[in-house]
Amino acid sequence: MLPIDLDARAELRSWVASRADGIEPDPALDRVALFDQRVLSSLHLPELILLIERLRNEPVDVTTMAAPDVASIDAIVATFFDRGTGR
Amino acid sequence: MMTGASGPAVTRAAMATLREPLQRLVDSSRRTFRNPYESIDWPVSVDPTADWFTAPELTTVHGTPLWDVIGDGARRRLAFLEALNFYSLNIHGERDLMEGLVTRLYRPDLSDAASYLHHFIDEENKHSVHFGTFCTRYGRVYRSRQPPGAAAPATPDADLRFFAKVLVFEEIIDRFNVAQAKDERLHPIARFINQSHHAEEVRHLAFGRRVVAELWRAHRASWSSAQIDDLRRYLAQFFVTTWRQFFNPDVYRDAGFDDPWDVAERLWASEAQRELRRAFSKRIVEFLTVHEILLEDPHAAY
Repeated sequence: MLPIDLDARAELRSWVASRADGIEPDPALDRVALFDQRVLSSLHLPELILLIERLRNEPVDVTTMAAPDVASIDAIVATFFDRGTGR
Repeated sequence: MMTGASGPAVTRAAMATLREPLQRLVDSSRRTFRNPYESIDWPVSVDPTADWFTAPELTTVHGTPLWDVIGDGARRRLAFLEALNFYSLNIHGERDLMEGLVTRLYRPDLSDAASYLHHFIDEENKHSVHFGTFCTRYGRVYRSRQPPGAAAPATPDADLRFFAKVLVFEEIIDRFNVAQAKDERLHPIARFINQSHHAEEVRHLAFGRRVVAELWRAHRASWSSAQIDDLRRYLAQFFVTTWRQFFNPDVYRDAGFDDPWDVAERLWASEAQRELRRAFSKRIVEFLTVHEILLEDPHAAY
């Protein structure tokens, strides 16, 4: 079984790529500023939160979330999935 | 990009054309003004496994294999939890709506709408009193997964996005209200909440259709194709965001399902539920496509 953050990265890449034109689900996507570069809009956040919850099998408290937490796939993994440091 | 001609002066002129219909809405709101604290005699308690609080056909489980494997009491309890979720997503939606209306109240270019905005805000607040009272008396308010956002700028583009989102949200909600307002299977409280909401939403929908059509007509020529494409993508995604709220893993967890996120995904993808979403979106999608605000169905929503 893959480490959870690798599974999460693959799922997140695939999800982001499915919601934006001309985006490939490859590792380079991990560093892309998803909202600053308008790959996603704020309206994608509830779906993204659902995906994060499903991948880690645990709710996310959006009231304590900050914009940098979901700024990129790297940031999402660091905030919500890295063992011992995820929220 | 927006040009100088597409600013507040154009919005003001567009809104001036709506003075007469807006006054009729104001008159109607004043004639039917009511006290939300006197309109319902709340029972001390309700029995979620005995009564229906959501019409069975409108639950997110209906028409799926899961419906067939749970018993009657579990179906009713799930329908009750989905009523809590429906009222909760109304509370969250109305909070954002009231915030957007308050921000626009007495803005000079929207001043012709000010009298009606007072009623709109008042009526939305009253709806939230009903929804909130039900949730807190008999269950809980389910959380929103939409993080608080930054205030939108006072631009025609932001105005159109706001009023179009309000219209999409209220059109979809109204389909549920209409279907359940006279459904004799529902507990009287659930029937009343749906009926009462619909009675005032009729005015809000009339307002929304007028304002969205007029803002679009007045400003579209000054917007670039890239800006209009972005607007269309945004509104299409709003259908997804709105409908996704109905498939709440927190509800499925409370209903006793082991893997609530997986349940949410399976129900979202089921053909019966996709068809319900398509059917309940049809009226507002037709309005948006007739006006060419959208060019096609928001396929990702169903």
